[in-house]
Amino acid sequence: MKVTEEELCRHSDSVNEQLARYGVKFGIYRNGEFHEQLFPFDVIPRVIGSGEFVYLERGLKQRVAALNAFLRDIYSDRKIIANGVIPEEFVFSGSGYLAQCDGVSPPGGVYSHISGIDLVQGKNGSWYVLEDNLRIPSGASYPMVARELCMRSIPSAFSDNLTEDNRNYPELLRKMMDYVNTGGHSVILTPGRFNAAYFEHSYFAERTGARLVTCEDLTVENDRLYFIDYSGKKEQVGAVYRRISDEYIDPVSFNRESLIGVPHIFDIYRKGNVALINAPGNGAADDKGIYYFVPRMVKYYLGEEAILQNAPTYLPYYEEDMKYVLAKFDSLVIKDVAEAGGYGVVFGSKLSAKEKADFMAMLKAEPRRFIAQEVIDFRDIDIYEGGIRVPRKADLRAFVLTGDEPVVWKSGLTRFSRNPDSFIVNSSQGGGFKDTWVMKD
Amino acid sequence: MSILSCGNSGRLFWLGRYTERVFTGIRALPGHSGMWTEAEAEKCFDGSNPESLYCSLMYAYDNAIVLRDEIGSDTFSYIQMAVYEMNSAKKSHAPMLNLQKVSDNIAAFWGMADDAISDENVRGIIKLGKRIERVDLYARGNAGNDEIRREVTRLTYRIEKTGLHYDPENLSALNELAENETIDRPEMIRKVESLVYFP
Repeated sequence: MKVTEEELCRHSDSVNEQLARYGVKFGIYRNGEFHEQLFPFDVIPRVIGSGEFVYLERGLKQRVAALNAFLRDIYSDRKIIANGVIPEEFVFSGSGYLAQCDGVSPPGGVYSHISGIDLVQGKNGSWYVLEDNLRIPSGASYPMVARELCMRSIPSAFSDNLTEDNRNYPELLRKMMDYVNTGGHSVILTPGRFNAAYFEHSYFAERTGARLVTCEDLTVENDRLYFIDYSGKKEQVGAVYRRISDEYIDPVSFNRESLIGVPHIFDIYRKGNVALINAPGNGAADDKGIYYFVPRMVKYYLGEEAILQNAPTYLPYYEEDMKYVLAKFDSLVIKDVAEAGGYGVVFGSKLSAKEKADFMAMLKAEPRRFIAQEVIDFRDIDIYEGGIRVPRKADLRAFVLTGDEPVVWKSGLTRFSRNPDSFIVNSSQGGGFKDTWVMKD
Repeated sequence: MSILSCGNSGRLFWLGRYTERVFTGIRALPGHSGMWTEAEAEKCFDGSNPESLYCSLMYAYDNAIVLRDEIGSDTFSYIQMAVYEMNSAKKSHAPMLNLQKVSDNIAAFWGMADDAISDENVRGIIKLGKRIERVDLYARGNAGNDEIRREVTRLTYRIEKTGLHYDPENLSALNELAENETIDRPEMIRKVESLVYFP
């Protein structure tokens, strides 16, 4: 890096003014009311060396390839279950598994087009995967727009041209959408302005040239999906990057009360007449319970050892693991597999005696509902706050885009906790973000 | 030419109208050229009054924020900055200084829209909204007949370029009204308000 971190900090205000100018925000509901707020940005980037990135890239491509193979398998032959690699109940009892997707082959054969893999780096430098996000992983827009505005505010930081340019994300997205497109326009389907990630939906639409649409702009006719323009003319749509969760995407096939979905879109998806990005039913592979089995998937489908490690994880479902979890409760973090966004996460050491007893009773009653992990003492990253640099916990969401082949975006969303005592980095819980610089050499 | 949804055509139209409402509204404030009274401040910044300038700007923002892909982030940013200035004006002891910046940002928004939006229909719809709002405001206010006639001419020139549905009989009637020596302003307001429709 040509400039010092101190120099970057001096420009912190000007970068944040730029982010405010462009409305780089996220939405949050408080007491049932929607609020838009700026996503706190810290100007000190996470820096990943080229060698380290090559290692991450190999591991991420491998992991996503295995996850895609798993989805293909469980919605068709289910060989991994027949061969006893993953217990049946872990696949079919999770809320992410959709029986409606059985036998469906998505356009291009891709299930997880955009995979958001959350990693942390331990103090010894080892990387651990904390979570796979294969449904609607969000966040890539933030480091991308931050990079653009940092380049404007601190041009000297990039004048040596040693940092990989991360502003190609829309190009990667476009290429992937084109690959799976069945004919016609590509669109981004948003639930609307009051979604937490609406900024991202609109920003990607602007940058990819894909039309941003809501359900009222689309209609299914004669087994095809159409966009209706303002003169009443219908234009065929071949790829939908949908930012609506599975249960709401089609009120005919899923939740009948959904007002944000497109009736019959799932029917024509089943027939191969439109690509849905990501494929419905991907929740079967990113369930926190399934996470435990990903290294086994890598071995099973690819015949390789997993390059990226999971955080040491225990499944109370297994008797042996249950014993361990109860014995080591105070040193573990317990996660509810059905929750996301940093919710449903309990640190054993932070519970009172009564809370602990109650929680253990719940764990015994519903062992499939939880996983337990060793608390990784992850490497702190400095943030600039109140005029000084202070260390904070941070994770990295890496993005892998899969069209004809998986591509790892040479950047990522680094999220940090603003609370010195917290490991929770989610924006919905007050976390901020950093850019992630991947160096060329 | 890109494809444009019916919803977005309406939003573009109202974005044009609300920005014009704020721009002309600020120029019409007594504080623009004289003293600023408490009553005027209340009228301007009352968030519960849909006719206040504050609300009009928030409605413009509500439309702009869902049009980022149509108008572009750079064009959108001027509406965002106008909102920041309006919020500062609300808290200021000399609000006209910030309101002047609101006007500046709206003017910059129009300029950027004209310069940066490649789709002629998208540009044209914003401008049409602005022209219709201006005729409406001028007919309601103290504008002279010549000013109204000029705005009706600009509106007539613009409407063909939008692809929006409009009533040609209303447009002819509007032009006839404008040509009269004494303009029937209430009738003009009725005609201009029912000129464009969204099926």
